[in-house]
Amino acid sequence: MRTSWEVTRSVWHAMFMREALARTAGDRFAWFWMLAEPVAFVVIMVLVRELLGRLRLIVGAEWIPWLVLGLVAFFMFREGVLRSLGAIEANRGLFAYRQVKPVDPVLVRNVLEGLLKTLVLLILITGVALLGYDILPFDPLGAMFIWLSIWLLGMGAGLVVSVAGAMVPEVERVVRMMMLPMLLLSGVIIPLQTLPYRVQQYLLYNPVAHGLESLRLSFFEHYQSVQGVDMTYLWFWALAMIALGLALHLRFDMRLKAL
Amino acid sequence: MIEVRNVYKRYHNHHGSDWVLKGIDFSLPRGLSVGLVGRNGAGKSTLLRLIGGMDYPDRGEIVRNCRVSWPIGLAGGFKSSMTGRQNVKFVARIHGDESSIDKIMHSVEDFAEIGKAFDEPVRTYSSGMRSRLAFGLSLAFDFDVYLSDEATAVGDRAFREKAKKAFQDRVSRSSLIMVSHQEGILKDLCQAGIWLNNGKATWFDDINDALTAYRESIGK
Repeated sequence: MRTSWEVTRSVWHAMFMREALARTAGDRFAWFWMLAEPVAFVVIMVLVRELLGRLRLIVGAEWIPWLVLGLVAFFMFREGVLRSLGAIEANRGLFAYRQVKPVDPVLVRNVLEGLLKTLVLLILITGVALLGYDILPFDPLGAMFIWLSIWLLGMGAGLVVSVAGAMVPEVERVVRMMMLPMLLLSGVIIPLQTLPYRVQQYLLYNPVAHGLESLRLSFFEHYQSVQGVDMTYLWFWALAMIALGLALHLRFDMRLKAL
Repeated sequence: MIEVRNVYKRYHNHHGSDWVLKGIDFSLPRGLSVGLVGRNGAGKSTLLRLIGGMDYPDRGEIVRNCRVSWPIGLAGGFKSSMTGRQNVKFVARIHGDESSIDKIMHSVEDFAEIGKAFDEPVRTYSSGMRSRLAFGLSLAFDFDVYLSDEATAVGDRAFREKAKKAFQDRVSRSSLIMVSHQEGILKDLCQAGIWLNNGKATWFDDINDALTAYRESIGK
């Protein structure tokens, strides 16, 4: 007899190989789009900004490195949520094996997405640095820690919405709809520093904004962020959502399988 | 050895939820193959899913002191976008047989006899090919009890002979719990029978008696 942990480990291994294959070889351009999406987004935003001619200065950071960091970090959070949303439905056929729990594909997808996005970040940093911009982190250890924290935040949110989305189909729609406003409200494109103080105070309720600003602070030595950016706040959200998500999975395990 | 103790099961929906199984109680000795009979909707697949651990009973409990397969059937068990080979690999991995993966692959390929289709996505398979693959896959592992939910229903004569032979070969080691509407294969593979009717189970030591009871209940 294998122990529970051995069974879980072999399920994760099998699932990871499966998801990795589906994600990277699923369609011919899978690899291409992984890099092209953030690059295209950066190019479009830079063009828009040039055309509008409203070059606001970001104190202590260059515009393109600033944008790239925010974008990739936000995409990691977004993919953590959106990939989790579809994880249970996409693997329904495999729940026939009692070893496979609904939480397994969610966790595995998050790990895979974290690895892929880390790779994308490294490639983009190299590319932007080679183009002559100042993007090398001033505090690499801190940057890694914050990157990991943003990943955990995405996973926590993913765990919660994967259960909610499977049981109430409307949740999926709403979450997908919320991702665009989230992009704008997290300070990916619009620097939060340029907004009025009163607005900033509301935007800082969003833990993703804390993550992005902290990441930039760890990259640019003289960067001036908004008042009140705090990683403890992000961790509070991340841990609370992971705990809630795991509890939901535990509680509704059988209902998710049998849906 | 499988024990089913006073099991109740119902599915919740928006318009009332009647009990599908109402106090099922039996124990299955080692090495005895059982056929489950009953009309459509009597709860045969539900009982099989409960025994397989895919779902939990609302009341009562099921004790499995042996290696039980997943319910082998047409629905589920395969990811249709993956090839037969990739599916087999996945299942071998979750059962912790990473080291013998090649052996498993060969035995499934041999049993299924689907040729080049083994490397095509499962979604392109006919139902017969799917059931050949599913059955072959489950036989690659040494389970004590195999659960078959109409897995043989769409198989051709050759497949049926093969399944029969596979079970006769391992009759000392393994047994089968089988849901089927094909009386022939039930008589071939099972000794005892369980007749499910109105949420209750009736045990028959001889599969023929179970089939007779079932036929009488539907007035034939």
